Amino acid sequence: MNRLWVRIALDRLVVGLIAVCVTIAAIPVVILFVFVLIKGLPGMLTPGFFTDTPHPIGVPGGGVVNAIVGTLIIVGLASAFAVPFGTMIGIFLSEYGRNQLGNAVRFISDVLTGLPSIAFGIFGYTVLVATVGHFSALSASLALGVLMLPVILRATETALVLVPGSLREAGLALGAPRWRVTLEIIVPAALGGIVTGALLSMARAAGETAPLLFTALGNDFFSTNPLRPMGALALTVFHNALSPYPNLQDQAWAAALLLVMLVAVTNILARIYVRRIQH
Amino acid sequence: MKRFFVGSTAIAALLLAACGSNNGTATNPSTGAANPIPVPPAAALTGAGATFPAPFYDAARFAYNQKFSQVTVNYQAVGSGAGIQQLTKKTVDFGASDVPMNATELTNAGGAGSVVEIASTLGTEGLAYNLQGVANGQLKLTPDTIAGIFLRHITNWNDPALAADNSGVSLPNQPITVVHRSDGSGTTYIFSDYMSTVNAEWKTKIGKGKSLSWPAGEQGASGNAAVATTIKNTPGAIGYVELAYILQTNMTQASLKNHDGQFVIPSAEGATAAATQFPDVTPGQFSIVDAPGKASAPITGYSWLMLYKDQADKTKGTALVDFLYWLVKDGQQYAVTVHYAKLPANMVSNDVTSLKTVTSGGSTLLTVSGS
Amino acid sequence: MSRGTADRVVPAPLVAIGRRRRLNTGDQIFRGLAYVAAILVFVIAFILVLALLLPALPSITRFGLGFIVSRVWDPVHEHFGALPAIYGTLVTSAIGIVLAFPIGLGAALFLAEEGGLRMIRGPLSFAIELLAAIPSVVIGLWAFFTLTPLMRANIDPFLNHVFGFLPLFRGTASGYGYLTAGVVLAIMVLPIMTALSRDVIAAVPRALREASLALGATRAETIWSVVLPYARVGITGAILLSLGRALGETIAVTMVIGNSPNISASLFSLGYTLPSVIANEFTEAVGNVYQGALFELALILVVITVLVNVFARLLIWRFKGSEPASA
Repeated sequence: MNRLWVRIALDRLVVGLIAVCVTIAAIPVVILFVFVLIKGLPGMLTPGFFTDTPHPIGVPGGGVVNAIVGTLIIVGLASAFAVPFGTMIGIFLSEYGRNQLGNAVRFISDVLTGLPSIAFGIFGYTVLVATVGHFSALSASLALGVLMLPVILRATETALVLVPGSLREAGLALGAPRWRVTLEIIVPAALGGIVTGALLSMARAAGETAPLLFTALGNDFFSTNPLRPMGALALTVFHNALSPYPNLQDQAWAAALLLVMLVAVTNILARIYVRRIQH
Repeated sequence: MKRFFVGSTAIAALLLAACGSNNGTATNPSTGAANPIPVPPAAALTGAGATFPAPFYDAARFAYNQKFSQVTVNYQAVGSGAGIQQLTKKTVDFGASDVPMNATELTNAGGAGSVVEIASTLGTEGLAYNLQGVANGQLKLTPDTIAGIFLRHITNWNDPALAADNSGVSLPNQPITVVHRSDGSGTTYIFSDYMSTVNAEWKTKIGKGKSLSWPAGEQGASGNAAVATTIKNTPGAIGYVELAYILQTNMTQASLKNHDGQFVIPSAEGATAAATQFPDVTPGQFSIVDAPGKASAPITGYSWLMLYKDQADKTKGTALVDFLYWLVKDGQQYAVTVHYAKLPANMVSNDVTSLKTVTSGGSTLLTVSGS
Repeated sequence: MSRGTADRVVPAPLVAIGRRRRLNTGDQIFRGLAYVAAILVFVIAFILVLALLLPALPSITRFGLGFIVSRVWDPVHEHFGALPAIYGTLVTSAIGIVLAFPIGLGAALFLAEEGGLRMIRGPLSFAIELLAAIPSVVIGLWAFFTLTPLMRANIDPFLNHVFGFLPLFRGTASGYGYLTAGVVLAIMVLPIMTALSRDVIAAVPRALREASLALGATRAETIWSVVLPYARVGITGAILLSLGRALGETIAVTMVIGNSPNISASLFSLGYTLPSVIANEFTEAVGNVYQGALFELALILVVITVLVNVFARLLIWRFKGSEPASA
């Protein structure tokens, strides 16, 4: 009897702890969101925020349209590189990677996650800035893409590996070639995990500053040319959030709020999409 | 000098009215007073470097673009060292640094003769503190007490060494929290240059540089703004901050004893007074700390812009020297709004002389008479 | 030939001869693409290491191995040592993982369950993932403005009061330092830990769980004996990924660590981390030795990450005796 009582008590305790953990886990995001909202709303509501380029101190108004477009372009290009590439590597690891080569790739990927983000900036600089002699959005996308790669790779592999073997076997038993089984059955089944990985890494990329400092450099003028320096919301926040000049500070916080909103919306839309595929 | 500025501002106003701010072309301002501002060709210029003068450059480039919409100047404040690096690698058109290039940097860039360095603005630093009941300027600091604080010989505000200079002020029994720049910066360089000049112990122990080996127990914050905010949020804190930040955030700063024994509160006027004491400043001999003179602010320094003497792209090069010419002349008015000091006249003429040596394919790019 | 699932399940002779040619071409192309992708990872890693190693050589040759144990960081006299930064990196990351792991795992256990409370699971899951959307610079700023006063005024004194007998919690707190940086890292790492653990736990077959419950085990026992062992490898992967993130986080940590190159047992004292030193001084470092020292710090960071990964893998192999990352 005693033992049963202990077991039940333990069970209650663990369940309680889990509830506590979940609550604690949800608190930071609420606090941070409210914080960014309070600090960012004034700046976002000033006219011209979405349409103007930055004005210097002393000149009222101004906005971050160049940074908005810049973030979209840079992260978009980075994702265009990292998502297909990373998914392919994830597929490689789960389907063909039960060997030394696969282990080596996994190992390198884990190590890459540990690098300071500034190292990716150095990488982008060495490959695409020093060689051509000027800063560009493309080099920033390269740096961010490599930064995103390990997360996408890992998430894809985990998701694919967790798809039950029976699904694979059924597909193959029906006579489909291996690559079709993978692309048309396994990947869709694992899509939730793959999308999670892609989104998490895109979110991280959009908020990164250090890789952009020596690649995109930043640009206070409006530009859509990926071969030239480009502004980004993360750079605006980094440079101006502690600025003693109020209109720059407001702009920075509003840029931060905008970043958070952009990524939140992307997340929601992707969730809806995944749910629709799976049902 | 004042008449000159009024005159050229009037011309500038005329030009602005004549050209309009968003036209693609500009009319030729060949008439007017002795030194018209040249009209630049269309170009997109990039510069990178120091954060110290960034607000001034920001205001100036914006105004220049309003005036000559065919030229966009994109300046990014990534740090003095990075600015020089980028100039050396030719990834930017001009670099900005609080400290002129040293011998190694010049060699890397192709030799001392291949780079032109001009002074662009003048700034000064103050010691901001967070002490309840001690108003702005009330705290008096001498070179010895500053050294004592930063070298951790003086660790509490009620130390007798501080009381000796501050007889009317009640300093509390509170540990001193010293805040310095953790990122390499020209602000640190100028501060350490001053300290090395006035304090022998500092000179041997710490020396001068953009990054220093600070004594243990001091706090580092990244950027002038972070230092200022840290001081504001930490009771009993003190640190060196660029004047613009002190004034803009309404911080309390100390009165500093200058070379002549006068206690001055750092200001743009004090910076100008200090600068005029050194008529022979060149990129090789650029220190203006601890200036003599009753009103001189002791921790003062120029900020510099550097470009290649031989410009590969003639159009860009012309736009660049035109912009820089404007910057050291008409552009100086924008320094005042952000609490920097205007360049003294002799520096302006030195700069113009230097700019006139910039060539492309053998021909001089700056076409103005006089200086 | 690699041994994928197909080779084991579908013996070649059973496939129709006419089909085989088509199968082989498509499969070969696909496989080729996959291998090329994998090789490119090596190329990227190679270039990255080279981009760090070559500039670091002046410093490596000057200081040798002494660099790792030297405590001096003097740019003026060009004496550099990495020990305080290494110490700070390890301590703050350890604090971050120690705080984030239980909370993340607990939250994942809740979020991965099925049935009941579904209404709040979705939004909660989403909310926690949203934490990853907040740029690190924003978290750093929030920590600078809000967390540091909170630590200084409330949390640190409390810890000092209750646990002050431990060297970890001695001394007065300024609100900056190792502990605050550790908390910041925990916050940043939490979404990764939670989301990945949740996905892994959710993939534990329902049948297994139900079987355990049917045999009379409590939920707690099911979790301990069935779910966690099944998910162990995936959870370790989550920890590794989180640790990687913690080790390399730059901006948020720089704002609260105090940027002071000293070593101290007390978690309240100011410190430095490898990424912070690099970020702070990279743009202004002049001279091959100074720059080299910073690149060498980055290399050390790579080495630490490699060591951590090797250690983790050894741990897994002892448990499983086979290759990792297999379900």
